[in-house]
Amino acid sequence: MAEKILLKNVGIPGSERLETYRSRGGYRALEKALRELKPSEVTDAVKKSGLRGRGGAGFPTGLKWSFVPKDVPGPRYLCCNADEGEPGTFKDRVILENDPHMLLEGIAISCFALSVVEAFIYIRGEFALGAERLERAVAEAEEAGLLGPNVLGSDFGLKVHVHRGAGSYICGEETALLESLEGKRGLPRLKPPFPASVGLYGRPTVINNVETLSCVPSIVQNGPEWFASIGTKGNTGPKLFAVSGHVERPGVYELPLGVTLRELLFEYAGGIRGGRGLKAVMPGGSSTPVITAEQADVKMDFDSLAAVGSALGSGAVIVMDDATCMVEVALGLTKFYRHESCGQCTPCREGLGWMVRLLEGIEFGRGSTADIDLLLEIASGISGKTLCPMGDAAVIPAQSTIARFRDEYESHVRTGGCPFKSAAGKVE
Amino acid sequence: MKAEDIQAILDKRKKEGGGLIAILEDVQAKYGCLPQEALKIVSKSTGRSMVDVFAVATFYRSFSLKPRGRHLVSVCVGTACHVRRSALIVQEFEKQLAIARGQTTSDREFTLETVNCLGACAIGPIVVVDGHYFSQVNVGHVSRILKKVRDGLDKVEVKGDERIFPVEVSCPRCNHTFMDRTHLIDGKPSIRVTIAFGNQHGWLRLSSLYGSYNVESEYEVPPQAIVNFFCPHCHTELIGGWDCPECGAPTVPMIVRNGGIVQICSRKGCRYHMLDLTRHA
Ligand SMILES: Cc1cc2nc3c(=O)[nH]c(=O)nc-3n(C[C@H](O)[C@H](O)[C@H](O)COP(=O)(O)O)c2cc1C
Ligand code: FES
Repeated sequence: MAEKILLKNVGIPGSERLETYRSRGGYRALEKALRELKPSEVTDAVKKSGLRGRGGAGFPTGLKWSFVPKDVPGPRYLCCNADEGEPGTFKDRVILENDPHMLLEGIAISCFALSVVEAFIYIRGEFALGAERLERAVAEAEEAGLLGPNVLGSDFGLKVHVHRGAGSYICGEETALLESLEGKRGLPRLKPPFPASVGLYGRPTVINNVETLSCVPSIVQNGPEWFASIGTKGNTGPKLFAVSGHVERPGVYELPLGVTLRELLFEYAGGIRGGRGLKAVMPGGSSTPVITAEQADVKMDFDSLAAVGSALGSGAVIVMDDATCMVEVALGLTKFYRHESCGQCTPCREGLGWMVRLLEGIEFGRGSTADIDLLLEIASGISGKTLCPMGDAAVIPAQSTIARFRDEYESHVRTGGCPFKSAAGKVE
Repeated sequence: MKAEDIQAILDKRKKEGGGLIAILEDVQAKYGCLPQEALKIVSKSTGRSMVDVFAVATFYRSFSLKPRGRHLVSVCVGTACHVRRSALIVQEFEKQLAIARGQTTSDREFTLETVNCLGACAIGPIVVVDGHYFSQVNVGHVSRILKKVRDGLDKVEVKGDERIFPVEVSCPRCNHTFMDRTHLIDGKPSIRVTIAFGNQHGWLRLSSLYGSYNVESEYEVPPQAIVNFFCPHCHTELIGGWDCPECGAPTVPMIVRNGGIVQICSRKGCRYHMLDLTRHA
């Protein structure tokens, strides 16, 4: 098992407390950054490390930081995306609840690099314990002079606010998150302009995921070369995989990017529950296309998953055994997206309702072959035609299950209902 | 609803910072919903139009314009719970409560809702009632969960349950007794230990009835917090040999008089405990 970086403190009693974090070497990277490095050198280190965003899109973090204009006077902000709403994802929660200081240290170093003096953490409303611990961690760090007006006695000052969300998936999308922070409905903004130039309250803003920011202290502490030596080329560093569904040992596993899906499922997560067969996997949360058992040797990294027509997304691995009905899975998820659609764009708002009706028809024996093709047609009318990437995400469950399991849709149509229904009652 | 109460929330938020969403969260927490009158006051005082306030109030899931029941039952139908058959659990709740999802029972006791992923997929299917998590739920658990809620989630009916019996315990290190005969819980001497969590440090008294979860403590322990236990006599930390199989927190060992050992989970709200009468310390 590889050395743990992100989860190294998890499981230690009182891991969420400042004294524990410090006793295990915490905040030394911040000290190093403030004493030995220039802000631009921190950004360069992050660039060189190859760190890519862990929030879903895998965008290179150092590059994102470099988009923030240097010469604009006035405030600029950093927002930490702790909304973690993608179904199947529960990795940021582990950090928020068990190691909030690692995140705060990452935020402080990033703000130093970006000359930001005010940062916001947008935490999912349901994460009451995480929010509580985070708020306490901020207070502890301020008291110890690790946050606040003069961080570690330097000229660099930083105020961190913890903002609790109110239950909305779309607020995880970065521009919706900014709207929500401003006290409005979470309606995504049209891009460009990108948040790096026009973000929170119209100011330059960087938005990064919890896990992304939590990688920063170890990059500064151990050097970008060390970080880049973990994982595969172009996909560097450790990754948290949240494995759920039909496995024996669901949970969060930290492994280098590029571990194979097979290894993750069978060596770490204990294999498929009840000795059943593996049918399909959503490798990066519900917005990533399903892959099949034949593809289990794929490497779990951004590029390898893209090469097999899927994505690493948030690293939430949802496993489905051979008793799972793919139409039902697609229906459940499409309903979810229909509900969470913010309603601004007609294709997403109206199209998803239509897709739900068609999927219900197929699942409950009222569908036809033409409906399957119609589903694909509506999906292509939504994808790429909305303000934010939620439209693209929303059609993926239906689109990808039809692409990989069309025969299952057809047998629903042929037999007038769901062939798995009898099994459904039996499981559990 | 009183106008002064709303004003107090507005004043507090003005002082501490926090925009419209934070104000509405406070109102919702106070009344369990957002009464229209309250929204009017919020609109006037924040200078945001009623349309604006209403738009925000209806956008977010944690807000409700209609009063909710006394207990909020949330069944997760997120993908990971879904593939573990949470749809059947929703149906069972609908049947037993005789309401559809999204509705409130006529006696205003229960509101049933579905949610999409509570970030606890590894232990799904998840049902949350009033902030208490039930993990790996199946259809057969539904009536038990409802009964527990009706009985009060923190209370345990002691009489007439044959799985409940008294134990006397002591410290595994110094063997001093933990029994406190001056402080009764469930009508029996309680078990006194010292606990620490966060910056708090104080006493905790547990029921000595094995099977009862009744506790009293000097400081309110937040739900889900992992607590460190210490012997009040020798001050050794009580650390068990293994982690709780239900939630992964460390377990806390105590020696049972007449032989054996009892292990309890150190996480507030986790109900794991194990009695091993065959093992002698
Ligand atoms: C509909 C939607 C929901 C999203 N939800 C989240 C989320 O819950 N957490 C998150 O970190 N990123 C989420 N994202 C991605 C963010 O928009 C953004 O790309 C990310 O926070 C950037 O951080 P990173 O560069 O560190 O990955 C979501 C995107 C979309 C389109
Ligand atoms: S899907 Fe139910 S907790 Fe994640």
